[in-house]
Amino acid sequence: MKKTMISRGILFLALSMILIATPGCGVDMDTNKTEELEPVEIREYEGVKLSSIDAFRENSIKGPQEVDAESYVLRITGLVMNPNNYTYDEVVNNHQHYKKVVTLDCVEGWSVTILWEGLLVRDLLEEANPLANAKVVIFHAYDGYTTSLPIDYIMNNDILMAYKMNDVTLPPERGFPFQLVAESKWGYKWIKWITEIELSDDVDYRGYWESRGYSNNADLDKSFFGD
Amino acid sequence: MTNQLLVKVTIHWLLTVVIIVYLITGFGITEYRIVEPLTFGLLTKSLAHKIHMNLEIPLIILLILHICLPPILRHSKLKKLGNK
Repeated sequence: MKKTMISRGILFLALSMILIATPGCGVDMDTNKTEELEPVEIREYEGVKLSSIDAFRENSIKGPQEVDAESYVLRITGLVMNPNNYTYDEVVNNHQHYKKVVTLDCVEGWSVTILWEGLLVRDLLEEANPLANAKVVIFHAYDGYTTSLPIDYIMNNDILMAYKMNDVTLPPERGFPFQLVAESKWGYKWIKWITEIELSDDVDYRGYWESRGYSNNADLDKSFFGD
Repeated sequence: MTNQLLVKVTIHWLLTVVIIVYLITGFGITEYRIVEPLTFGLLTKSLAHKIHMNLEIPLIILLILHICLPPILRHSKLKKLGNK
């Protein structure tokens, strides 16, 4: 009787251990897969404290725009030898990436310091081969907003067209797919939702806010009213 | 109405008007998508911005006068009464 009890006890223990161990022993193939989680923005980069991507005030002319990456086309037009059309993937994957911490200063009085990642506008322009009489680069956005910058400013500085901020892909309200990082210029030059880059010889061209009284130069160290 | 009272009332009303315009133009900058249609396109963002910036110094001067003038006037009035 005692022997039977002991052997039953051993059997019970053995079965219990098998039951407990089974889920852990089996190699679940699904656990080896890498699941992509929501990206998390970084708030510090090389010792520089970064602003949150939610710290911007939404002040675009028609509110946030939803641009479909699949059907998106970036057009390079105007005074160029080779007008080009790029898909979103072609812009992102076929060009050298750059990262840079730049502060955006808005005329409304707020500013944000962000780690921007993108490509150089200069690289796109060089592929299109601008004509000698091209003096101004006009940026067009999905919502109809426009702004312009001198071609010398674009070619002589490392001006980014960003697709990531703080290591996160630009959200729609921040300008997905691309936002211009017009460093040393007031915020209204930092056009979002870029769809077209046009080269022009019209040095008197004024963009959306520039034609409404804001400075066309938009240098940060000068007033945003006037030339 | 004495001259002193007239000055006080004028400063008071000027300050009131400047504060109201300052607030409206502030909204005209930050909430231009609402303010511009509400004012039938009269108060554009850039106009609101210009007015707002030009009102900064008058607002400070009027505020200082509004705070400092009554005690000064009271003091001079008491001095006059004392002399009598």
